Amino acid sequence: MPSTLSTPAEPASLTRAERLRLWTAIRVGDVAALASRLAGRGSGASIRGQVLTRLDPNAFADLLQGHRVLAVSGTNGKTTTTHLLAAAVRSGLGADARRLVTNADGANLHYGIASALSQQPRSDIAVLETDERVVSDMIAHARPELLVLLNFSRDQLDRHHEIKALGRSWRAALAAAGAVGPTIVANACDPLVVWSAGTAAKVVWVETDTTWSADGALCPACGTVLRRVPIDERARWDCPGCELTQPEASYRVDGERIVLPNGRMVHPDLQVPGSFNVSNAACALAAAVEFGVPVPEALAGMHTVTAPAGRFATTHFGRTRARLLLAKNPAGWAEALPLATSDPVILAIDSVAADGKDVSWLWDVEYEQLAGRRVVCTGPRAQDLAVRLSYAGVEHEVEPDLRAALGERDMPVDVIATYTPFQRLLKMAGLR
Amino acid sequence: MKPVEIVLVYQSLLGIYGDRGNAMVLRQRLAWRGIDATLTVVDPGDDVPSTGSVYLLGGGEDAAQISAVKALKADGHLFRAIDAGAVLFAVCAGYQIVGETFTVGENDEVIEGLGLLDVTTRRGPERAVGEVLSAWTRPDGTESLVTGFENHGGFTYLGVNAEPLARVEIGVGNCGDGTDGAVQGNVLGIYPHGPILARNPELADHLLERALGHELDPLPNPEQDELRRQRIAAVRRTGLRR
Repeated sequence: MPSTLSTPAEPASLTRAERLRLWTAIRVGDVAALASRLAGRGSGASIRGQVLTRLDPNAFADLLQGHRVLAVSGTNGKTTTTHLLAAAVRSGLGADARRLVTNADGANLHYGIASALSQQPRSDIAVLETDERVVSDMIAHARPELLVLLNFSRDQLDRHHEIKALGRSWRAALAAAGAVGPTIVANACDPLVVWSAGTAAKVVWVETDTTWSADGALCPACGTVLRRVPIDERARWDCPGCELTQPEASYRVDGERIVLPNGRMVHPDLQVPGSFNVSNAACALAAAVEFGVPVPEALAGMHTVTAPAGRFATTHFGRTRARLLLAKNPAGWAEALPLATSDPVILAIDSVAADGKDVSWLWDVEYEQLAGRRVVCTGPRAQDLAVRLSYAGVEHEVEPDLRAALGERDMPVDVIATYTPFQRLLKMAGLR
Repeated sequence: MKPVEIVLVYQSLLGIYGDRGNAMVLRQRLAWRGIDATLTVVDPGDDVPSTGSVYLLGGGEDAAQISAVKALKADGHLFRAIDAGAVLFAVCAGYQIVGETFTVGENDEVIEGLGLLDVTTRRGPERAVGEVLSAWTRPDGTESLVTGFENHGGFTYLGVNAEPLARVEIGVGNCGDGTDGAVQGNVLGIYPHGPILARNPELADHLLERALGHELDPLPNPEQDELRRQRIAAVRRTGLRR
């Protein structure tokens, strides 16, 4: 019998020894998290996860047992899409919403996922944001029912070196999983995503409103330069050298609306801004429907999402009212920059490991579009941004200190930050 | 007078590290001096113009390197432009393909390069990733520091016809032998990728002067000086454990 929304997960099958080790590791992790909170070092989720997975190296796999898993991955939009999908499924579950656990804080590595799962032992449905590097382990250990693959673009190349290597690992994991592998919900407009999902048993394709195509010049399968063919006024990609081509999609983004497989158009009426979030919502909707959530319930749930893990949050720093936008790579900046409409606009750049140590990407971002407005460059790499802006002809000033850059302003400002300054802003605002 | 043409070659294949920044820097440094300049971005499939003064190649992955070599050989204009006196500046993967041979893939398949620089590239013992600092000698014999970021798996060895471009102070460079980059006639290559010219305006102006055949007026820029000061201090502080 096919599973429905109400189908419970298969219970975990752990030995008594495994249960005891896991239980002990969770308790010690909780103590570490409490200590971290008391010391004023944030939520403690990160330290809990690290202690937990150190004491029980199988914690990630063991905690995933007993869950029906829906995973979300991709370069950009993971956190927001995870929130949208979790809200849609919760809405579908209604009174049973507490069956659902999710890593809402965006901690998406093994220990972040383990930490989130450990806090809701009674849950049996897990909606999990999953780092691109963790996807193959997730497929192998969690046997997810659904895996959403959003997009693939240049990101932290000082660490990943080759964009395609991750896709190769996904292909291998999906091939190994075979018929019991997840149903994939994937972006048909991204050649690397389509190739990465190519070994999956079942795929639901979503035609998104993807604007970034700089990492899709070559066919990932054969290396031929891809061509873009206009069909029905929409550009579709196709490889002249092999069989790979943009698949026919079941769901399609059309401006602010989403076209369902039956041809009906729905308006997601989101509270998160930007056309890229309509694309994220289309992927979340497709996944929720596959999981058994009716469309109206899914849309009602997604409507409640406002500021996933602080993204797009509006908050105060002293007198200054600021809207916080996160951008981690050129594709993310291409999405965030048009949303930042204030004058001045504050841009915060750092280059520790979590941001990527190499800030060459500043030259892949079209800062030229800010010409005519004033930019406050802040963060440890403010000077690199300043030089970039001088070549772009954008008026700017440099204030490396984040708090000083926010100042005491009478007019609201938009702030776009890379990962580390974004987390600092959330902490300063008391949002994490 | 005809505008000076800067040609960014196959940005969509070889431009993964913000390498188009080099073209933007060259064009803008001419514009700031009141010299009319244009930027031509060539996509694979388009003809490479033979009218350029400076040609630029950037970083990219294995498949992109192979495609770029094939297309540039079939097109032929880049070779003719260099014969006619144009300057070619290639970084990272672009530097590798300008040489005699380089390797790609898990099995280190040897690929013939453009043969414009007497260098060969083979897989190195470990990937070179991090801030790099080196010194190059200006035409007047004085030294200038080059600050940048390298990220390459290949190690490059110079043949008899190529001279090293820079002497490494911190980082790996060509192959850990204390040199980085190579120069042969009007063809220059070096590992630090992306907007290396944004951090090293003297190197940028050197390329332009070489292509134009005359010296350029100095262009004071305190903001750029401050960036250089910061990056040089940072790499000297942390370089040994990058």
